[in-house]
Amino acid sequence: MPLVEMKNIQRHYETPAGIVKALDGVSFDIEEGERVILLGPSGSGKTTLLNCLSGLDSPTGGSYKFLGGEVPRHHSEKMTSFRRENIGYVFQFFNLLQDLTVLENILLIQELAGNKNSARAKELLELVGLHSEVNRFPGEISGGQQQRVAIARSIAKRPRLLLGDELTGNLDTETSNRVMEALVNACRQEDITSVFVTHDEGLIRYATRVIRIDSGRIISDEKVTSDNEN
Amino acid sequence: MSNLLNKRLARSLWRTKPRLFAVVMMVAVGVFAGITFSGYSHNLDGMYETLHGDDDEGANLADMWIDNRSTTWSHEEVTNFCSALEASWPADMDELDSCEGRTIVQGTMFHSNDGGTQIINSLWHGIPEFANADRLWMPSGHSEGRVASAADEIVIDAHVVDALDLSLGDTVHIGAGSSPVEFSIVGIGYHPLHVFMAPEGSIFPPEPGQYVVGYVSDSGMARLTNSTIGNSNTILLDVEGTPSFDLPDTEEYEGDEIDSVRNLVSRALENAELDGRIRDRGQNEPVEIMRQDLEGAKRTSVPFAVMIAAIASITIVLSLQRLVQSQAKEIAALRTLGVNRMSLMTGYLIAPLAIGAAGCGLGAVIGPLGVDFMLDFYEGIVGLPITEREVPLSIYSNVMIPTIAVVFLSGAFPALKASKLDPLEVLSGQNQIRVGSRTLRRLTSWMPTTLGLSIRSSIRKPVRLMMTFLAVGISLMLFGSVQMMSAGLEDTIVGGLEDRQSWDAQVYINHDQEERVIEWADQRGATYEPLIEMPIGMVEDPKGLERIFTVVGLESFTEGLREINIIQGDPPQLSTSATEVLLDEGAATFLGWSVGQSHTVLLNGAEHEVTIVGVTRGELARTMYFLRADLGEALGVNATSIYLTLPDGVEVDSSLAEISAGVVERETLIEGMNSLIDQQTQIFLAMMYLGLMFTIAVMFNTMIMNVAERDFELATLRVLGASTPSLGIMLLFESLLIGIIGGLVGVVFAYGGAVGLAASFSTWQFYVTVLIVPSVAYQLMLGVILIAIAMTPIGIWRLRRMDLVEKVKNLTQ
Repeated sequence: MPLVEMKNIQRHYETPAGIVKALDGVSFDIEEGERVILLGPSGSGKTTLLNCLSGLDSPTGGSYKFLGGEVPRHHSEKMTSFRRENIGYVFQFFNLLQDLTVLENILLIQELAGNKNSARAKELLELVGLHSEVNRFPGEISGGQQQRVAIARSIAKRPRLLLGDELTGNLDTETSNRVMEALVNACRQEDITSVFVTHDEGLIRYATRVIRIDSGRIISDEKVTSDNEN
Repeated sequence: MSNLLNKRLARSLWRTKPRLFAVVMMVAVGVFAGITFSGYSHNLDGMYETLHGDDDEGANLADMWIDNRSTTWSHEEVTNFCSALEASWPADMDELDSCEGRTIVQGTMFHSNDGGTQIINSLWHGIPEFANADRLWMPSGHSEGRVASAADEIVIDAHVVDALDLSLGDTVHIGAGSSPVEFSIVGIGYHPLHVFMAPEGSIFPPEPGQYVVGYVSDSGMARLTNSTIGNSNTILLDVEGTPSFDLPDTEEYEGDEIDSVRNLVSRALENAELDGRIRDRGQNEPVEIMRQDLEGAKRTSVPFAVMIAAIASITIVLSLQRLVQSQAKEIAALRTLGVNRMSLMTGYLIAPLAIGAAGCGLGAVIGPLGVDFMLDFYEGIVGLPITEREVPLSIYSNVMIPTIAVVFLSGAFPALKASKLDPLEVLSGQNQIRVGSRTLRRLTSWMPTTLGLSIRSSIRKPVRLMMTFLAVGISLMLFGSVQMMSAGLEDTIVGGLEDRQSWDAQVYINHDQEERVIEWADQRGATYEPLIEMPIGMVEDPKGLERIFTVVGLESFTEGLREINIIQGDPPQLSTSATEVLLDEGAATFLGWSVGQSHTVLLNGAEHEVTIVGVTRGELARTMYFLRADLGEALGVNATSIYLTLPDGVEVDSSLAEISAGVVERETLIEGMNSLIDQQTQIFLAMMYLGLMFTIAVMFNTMIMNVAERDFELATLRVLGASTPSLGIMLLFESLLIGIIGGLVGVVFAYGGAVGLAASFSTWQFYVTVLIVPSVAYQLMLGVILIAIAMTPIGIWRLRRMDLVEKVKNLTQ
């Protein structure tokens, strides 16, 4: 059974200028363990698709099943619960809580998910190469390190699907590569499926599949061989 | 360009309508309170001037009173004294307008109604028809009839006619230690010595109708007291103009002019071989209490207005600062596009001016309504009509100009901050990066992470938090200080009378005529205890001012019908050398006297050496307690009244009234005290509730800002799957924390305010002890915590309606 099954997903907005079709009949499946990159120009609908995948936004049409079950729509708490149980999210600007240390940022998510485990939090930090920074505040570490903390935080509760929107958009190439390597490594170790939105064609090498999208439709969907598979 | 910037800012402010409205309302309320209190005191001032005035409309308040209630001067003695005084009057002094003898006696009214005959404690003035000083005040439209001229005519004080259902033409039966005498009511009016209807020696007016003052003619007084026309126990002096007299509540000494008069009077009394107490307006309690009440109203208007303006200012500073913070990117973009600092600053400076102008305008419009309300309230409480009402322009300007200035200044800091934002820092997001506090981390590391985050988030902006607490503190000062002071008053004064005294009635007797009352008590199986209580003590304070105090002589201080709360030292023992006395804590504070010291005091004009053996609590008036035997020996008086404890079925009746010079029942006294405290509290009730509203507004503002500022964090957590209840619990922790600290700060401020308020009220005449009554402190704490907790749903509501798709856009762009 695929992890994600999207069939004819539509996300239409009513505006004074008429109906805007941000997603216009998108269909695809994602199998467990895949690392998918969504590529497309600005306004193509990739972020809307990511929002629908995460349960932040409700499609206006079509079917979205996660592990065979329909994903809740238009119900804030049920959608939150879906995210809590299944989804990890990495933001472009890391969004770590500045008043908490690196370790506490991870503990907080575990605590909110009801499975606080300090040893695992430290293990995850080690996985992303930050075991020596546990007691530092986000403001005291670099952007790349912060993004790695954000990755550790998003996988702390063992999500089935990890999503990221332009997660290296704020980093230089070298740091981006380090972050992506940490991410791929973590996903593999934790057996997490991932979907990332990016403009950066250079990141394709970290994916197992690339979906290109434009004007709310999928224009190509191809499997790729990741450089990091070995 | 600048206009467009200002328009942009105006629109941004408009988006925060509730907060904007709250701030405008705070300014409006500050101005309203300022105008209300200033207008109130201005109109009261005018009313007293009219009442005291020496013209057709006024009652011509005397400048000096000479009295001796334990003797009677004949007409000849008074005439001789007045002639001698007039003869010795220097030409360079303001002319002596009049020197008149009067009789003022305590007594009773035998008031018949459906329930039978009621014995009412009373005071009777004998005022000649064409008297010059201390006349009746009969303002047209607010009084009825005329002054008494015939021997069977009486004018009843307007304060009591409604309660006793009396009207012109009615017959009343009154006595002064004698059988009832019939009088016919020919007038209803007011008297300058009875603005406040409290019996002599007390500042607590009994419930309406429980104390009567009546004004008979000189012939009427002779008939009532069965004496000769012209006999008197009081001499009134009226000097042209008003010689300056010392104001007891000021540091300076203002009594030089009246002192010259006093010296002349003392010599004349000595020459005429008359004994009497000499008092000027500052020493005449009924006059002085009302003057101080007016001064209190004048003094109160400024601090209340300032406190309210301060709360509004703090809210404006915090709100504008938050606005600057939320507009940082826009400001940075504008700066990058070349907008200069001054153009940016202008808007942030104009905003508070506009807020201030709107608030002042609204406050000015509703201010006169407040003045009217307060004056109506005063009329209701004091019972005196305020015939002319006005709010002069100077009051508006005195209140509005400082308010606008304070409000304007409160915009300066955020404006400066806005103009100093570094575009590069803001646009690169550097201004968002900060390093958490290690100390806080250490202190909270043992807690659940959510709780630790709540605490750290709450105190992440200590300056803002402190300003919030300052505003909450000031708000609670408005709300809690009056409550605390009233609770302290009730606890010490009323509590003392309720719990430490066990008499039912205090029967005043004419000079050494206690046997008949004791006989009455014996016949009915009542317990009795004679006592001496007279306001005839005089002492020089550290500044050399003569202070009058009440002397009380009791059989026992710990076992009698009136127990004394001795807070320091021991009860007096029968004297060996110097007389041992207790001194109330107010007098001890003002005089700087302490236990173990010996001092000389004047009792009825004669010097006596006393040793302070203890300090007492529970008296508003300055009091010195003696053993009755000691005091009796010093004054040559055995008793001035008798406490009675009445067995079941025995009540105060006409036979007791006929042998007494007035009867006061303890229940009536307690009701009067409670009523006065309630009334005084009610005057400030509006302020108290404003304080409560401000507390809610300030807490609301802070909570909204905290949640708004944490949109970023909360949205992140929501996206990561944190449920609304779990985030709600975090907000609740935060609210609780702010509530608990705010509550503690509030209690401290309220106590400080109560001490300040008590200090501003406390004078020689009226000393207030502020005690922290735990229930009030708990109430305040609980109130703030509840307000804080009540704000949590607002945060949760905000969380629920948070558009996560929009937020994620912001988080990822």
